[in-house]
Parts: sequence; structure tokens; C-alpha cells
Amino acid sequence: MKELQNSLGAYLKLHWKTAVFLVVLLLGIGLADQFVDSYMRRILNLCAIYVIVSLAMNLVNGFTGQFSLGQAGFMAIGAYTVAVFTVPIESRAAIFYLEPMAPFLANIQLPFIVALILGGLVTAVVAFFIGYPCLRLRGDYLAIATLGFSEIIRIVFTNTQSITNGALGIKSIPTISSLWWTFGIALIIIIATVLLINSTYGRAFKSIREDEIAAEAMGVGLFKTKMTSFLIGAFFTGIGGGLFAALLGTVDPKQFYFTLTYNFLLIIVLGGMGSISGTVIASFVVTLGQEALRFLDEPMAFGLDLPIFRPGLRMVVFSFLLMVIVLFYRKGLMGTNELTWDFMAEKYRALKKRLGGKKTATEGGAKK
Amino acid sequence: MKKTLSLLLSMAMVVTMVAGCSGGTKTSSADSDVIKIGVFEPLTGANAAGGELEVEGIKLANQLRPEVLGKKVELVIADNKSDKAEATTAAARLIEKDKVVAILGSWGSSLSIAAGDVVKTNKVPAVALSATNPQVTAGNDYYFRVCFLDPFQGTVMANYAYKNLKAKKVAIIQEVSNDYSVGLAKFFTDSFTKLSGDPNAIVATGNYNTGDQDFNGILTNIKAANPDVIFAPGNFTESALIIKQARALGITAPFIGGDTWETNEFITVGGADVNGAVMSTFFDDTNPLTEAGKTFVAEYKKAYPNSANIAAVSALGYDGYMMTLDAIERAGSADPVAIRDALATTKDFEGATGMITIDANGDATKNQAVIKGVKDGKFTYMDTVTID
Repeated sequence: MKELQNSLGAYLKLHWKTAVFLVVLLLGIGLADQFVDSYMRRILNLCAIYVIVSLAMNLVNGFTGQFSLGQAGFMAIGAYTVAVFTVPIESRAAIFYLEPMAPFLANIQLPFIVALILGGLVTAVVAFFIGYPCLRLRGDYLAIATLGFSEIIRIVFTNTQSITNGALGIKSIPTISSLWWTFGIALIIIIATVLLINSTYGRAFKSIREDEIAAEAMGVGLFKTKMTSFLIGAFFTGIGGGLFAALLGTVDPKQFYFTLTYNFLLIIVLGGMGSISGTVIASFVVTLGQEALRFLDEPMAFGLDLPIFRPGLRMVVFSFLLMVIVLFYRKGLMGTNELTWDFMAEKYRALKKRLGGKKTATEGGAKK
Repeated sequence: MKKTLSLLLSMAMVVTMVAGCSGGTKTSSADSDVIKIGVFEPLTGANAAGGELEVEGIKLANQLRPEVLGKKVELVIADNKSDKAEATTAAARLIEKDKVVAILGSWGSSLSIAAGDVVKTNKVPAVALSATNPQVTAGNDYYFRVCFLDPFQGTVMANYAYKNLKAKKVAIIQEVSNDYSVGLAKFFTDSFTKLSGDPNAIVATGNYNTGDQDFNGILTNIKAANPDVIFAPGNFTESALIIKQARALGITAPFIGGDTWETNEFITVGGADVNGAVMSTFFDDTNPLTEAGKTFVAEYKKAYPNSANIAAVSALGYDGYMMTLDAIERAGSADPVAIRDALATTKDFEGATGMITIDANGDATKNQAVIKGVKDGKFTYMDTVTID
């Protein structure tokens, strides 16, 4: 007992900044949960869900170097599991009005958290069957197979009317509005990913990304390691999909077009392939950025009545800003770096040095 | 140099973000002699064409009747990008940031369903314009609609097939990935089997997905079943291709469908083969059903002199706006809950697309539909059917 206390004390001594940061973060979430309006709440929830799914994608694509494009399909499985198992039984007849729900499912209703975890597990099982043949191969096969899979799963869900209600979709899913669900789970997944990446497994993932032959020569089991990463990624994505369904309160197959995957691809490329903090930052930048630019869609932006201020302009401006960022940060905002205390201290010193250097060179001009 | 520029650009991004947020709060604290109505439509993305047409109708109605209760009505238009997640945030934004008292839209049932929870929890009424899926209003006291539903349209076409075309055997081709098409096919099947009294009246059913190009497999099956009529509700491009390929296979049975066919693309893709195709729709500009319809047509032609024909969804946009204003007037206040109660008791409201009475579900009970056909490469008015 005393030993544990000692080691805990030593750990806190070493990582006190992180511990303080976590406490502040939790307080921040608690405050935000009390005071933000439903519009902001929705956007923040969406940010957290994007963090979860993008992180899962980065684990496979950025850390293990396996190009997987199945996010939309995996999310669909998680979302539908939550939808099918949490819709109140009494409203099912009204939802499945064209074809009644399959009898073996019609009377099962699970608590949200159970359905959520089940969604993750089902997604991981499906991922196993895709990964089993594909992860043995090298090259682009995984990308092709997962892209194909994500389209197949959408079409399957469209046609299994007695389970998923086909194209009509499912509504009346009990919604979550508290920030604790999304941010809590996002936080758990971020911590789990950090621990995983810094473990033996994480180093094995990275070694595969860098050089498969060298990794194999060092005794890393390629298939097993790739599969581990792929399954964990799929599990997290399934959870993210389940939260997505519960946030919107409705699912239908059209939500899960493969274009959804590109959202997450954008986030991880923008944040940096192989950076956890980069992914988190990029998720917030992309989600908040699109909403913040909405004023460009209104006819009177900046008090000017110009015809270019019409719906769609914000997407043009947003794409332009993305291009600029990618142009200047070729490896994404964070590259493969992490936002650690050391990293920030170093950046701060570099910034101070540069500003100081400029000041001596051109006295007044550097101030702006 | 590069670093400085990147710093400047990121500063610019931050500034625009701040401007965006502060801009939003500025409008929300606007003076109270303006009544704000939110318009929530897909103006970019896959459904942009439909959303644009509805907004046209709403704007026209706003020009004709810019005031209610002595206050100016301001339209706040929010784009939902044809995306469900975006639809919920757009609706929440209209309610929270812009403080609208009612919402009109959206084109596409699934987008309206996604916003349903937001309007219900925030107690702001919404009026769907062309969303025909029963789930939009089911179980939601705050969602209303001005169009007729899939069941009604299915019944209309089943009656047409049975009475006018004297069909005994029908084949159905449905776009299985489209909720509208699946719903229509189901209700057509129900009412046709009831009308004909023959449980086996539907001799063949074919399913296809949005974006399919080759329908020969489905059509070969249908040819073998030899139906009198083929009911094929679905997207206009695919439907036109189906008719083309059916004629090439030697199928001579007439094709009937729903209101989604009424687009120019249907005729340009189908060419001469779609002549004789018949569909039901909400509205026809050459034969308006009501006085309000005549006013709408005249004003529309004045406002948009270059458009060849008036889309039914524009007329529905017009009706949605007018009905909401009527409700605000009857409620005597711009309180969202009072407006909801007034909307729920709408009775015999004269809209451009017919008389509207809101039933207990929040749906418009309409008993009239327009039958149109393609004749010499043009949509021509054929008949107005009334069903009790």
C-alpha cells in the first residue's frame, strides 16, 4: 500500500503539469456542460466525436502506416447497433411502418452504454473479417478493400429492411446532450491511445510504418501487430459511430457515404499523420471553423451587400484556408510531434529568440 | 518570410472566426419590431437544386407579405449542406443564435427528421414543405407540413392505374435507397391490391440503387411477368433510363410515377421514350387549384420571367410561409409556442397548392392531386383528382 502511494507520489511529481491540466480540463468540461447553449453544445459534441473517429483512423493510418478508408462503414455499424438496440420498444411500430422489425430484435432494448460497447465490439468483429485476408498483403489492398467494404455495408443496411428499416432510417433514438458522454469517452480514448503508442505495441506499430522488412527482421509479427492496430481502430470508430447516432437521434444509410471518410482523412492529414495532439487540434479546427465561417453565407457579411456572399461561400473560403495550411505545414499542423510540455517550452524559447533577434536587427518595426 | 506570412494568415483565420461568432450574437440582440423566420434548406451539396427552388417560393411570399402584426418579417436562411449532422447544427443555430420564432424546411425528409429533435426540445415550430415521409411529423408536436404524404400519392396513382388505365396486373420498380420511393411503392401496393381485390395484382417487383445505370436484369423479369402498367417512383435520371431500356427491350406497358419525375432532366435523358409517362404532383401552373394559386402564378411570372415552368416545391415554399404568417396572425403574438398552437388548429387555409387543414399528426390533409403526363417532350396537365 505504502509502495503504491510512493509510486503515485513519484508519478505526480514527474507529471504534475499534466495532472493539473487534466483537472482544469475536467473543470472546463463541467462548466461548459452547465453554461453553453444547445447550439454550441451540439458543435462541441460533434468535435469530440470527430476526435474519437479521427484518432482511431490515425492509429491505423498514421501510426501503423496501413492505409484504411473504412471509417464511414465502421461508423455505420456502430451507429446502427446503438440505433437498433436503444430505440424505445413502444415507438418501434411507428418507425418500422413499412415492414415490421424482425421478431428476434423487436423486444430487445439495451441501456445506452451497453449498446455503445456492443457497437464497438460488432465493428471490431467485422473488421477482423476484412483484415484477415487484407492485412497479410502489402500495398494498397487494404485501402481498396476497406473502401469497398464501406460501400457494401451501406447497401446492405439499405436492403435489410426488417433490421435497419432500409432507406427510411431509424428515428427517436434517445439522444445524449450532456458533454460528459462525448468528452468523457474522447478523453478515455485519447489517454488509451497515448498509453498504447508508448507501449511495446505502439513501438511495434511505428516500426511497421517505418519499414516492414526491418520490423519483421527484428521479430515483430507483422500480421498480428497490424491486426491489433486495425481492430482497436475499428472498435473506437464503432464507439464514435454510436455516439454520432445518439447525438443526431436518427440514422439512415445516406449518412454513411464514403465521402464521410474523407472528413476524417482531412482531419488527420491536417493535424499530422502520426500525431495524437495534432488530430485533436485538427478536429476542433475543422468542426469549429466550418461553423464560424457561416456568416460568409449571409448576404450582409461585413456589412457589405455583395452578391458573392451567398450560401456556399464559406466552403470556398474554408477550402482555401485548408490549402494555405497544407502549403505551409506540409506534414500537417503538428507533423509527427506531440504537444508535450517540453515541445511547448522549446517552441516558446524559439519564438522568444526569434522575436528578440529581430528586435535587435530592426528596432521599432518588429513590434507589430 | 514564409513563417511570417503563415502567421498572418492564421491570424486572419482567428479574426474571421471571432468576427463570425460576434456577428451571430449581434443579430440575436436585435430589436423586437422584427419577426424572424428561419429557412432551413440544402443550398449546397446533393440536394441543392431542390432547396434553391423552395427558397425561391419563400422569398416570393416574403415580398408579397413582408409584415405581420405590424412587424417586419425577416427571413434568416441557413444552409444545411444536404448533410444530417449539419442539419441539426443549422437548426440549433437558427433557434439559439438568430432567435427565430418558426422554421421553414427542409427539402428532403431525412434532413427534416434530423432537425425534428432540435425543434421539439427547443419548442420552436417547424413547417416542412415537400418532405413526404410520415416520420417527419410522427411523434413530434412541433413539426408540421404543407405537402401531401406518401400514402396519399400512392393511393392517387393506384386509383389512376386501376380506373383510368384499367390495369389488372402491375409491376413495381423501386429505388430501394430512397425513402420516398420505398414509401410510395408500399402504399401503391396496398391500395392497388385493395382496389382490385386481387392479392396477387403486383406481378413483379424490382429494386435498384441510386446511381445505377443498367436495369436490363430487372426489366427482363418484368417483361416475363407481362404487367399492364409499371409503377416506378424514383429519381428522375434513373427512371428515365429505366423507361428507355424498357422500350429497347420491347416492353410496351405504360410507366407511371411520382412528383420527382417533373424535371427537365427526365425529358432530356429519356428523349422520345418518356412520352406517355404519367405522374402525380402537387401543383400545376396552368391550372391552379385555388385563387391563391392564381395569385402565386401571376406573381411568380412577374418575379422570374425567364423560368419556363413553376416547380411544385416553389409553390409549397410559398404556402409554408403564408400558412406560418397566418398562424402568427391568429396567435396574435410571436411567441413560438403560441404559433405552434395556432399552426395546429389551421383549418381550410387557402394555399397555392390547395386547401390546407392540419390534422392531429401535424400533416396537411389534402384531397386533391394533379396528374401530369409527358406529351411531345413537354409536361402537360391531364387531370385533377379528388380522393376522399
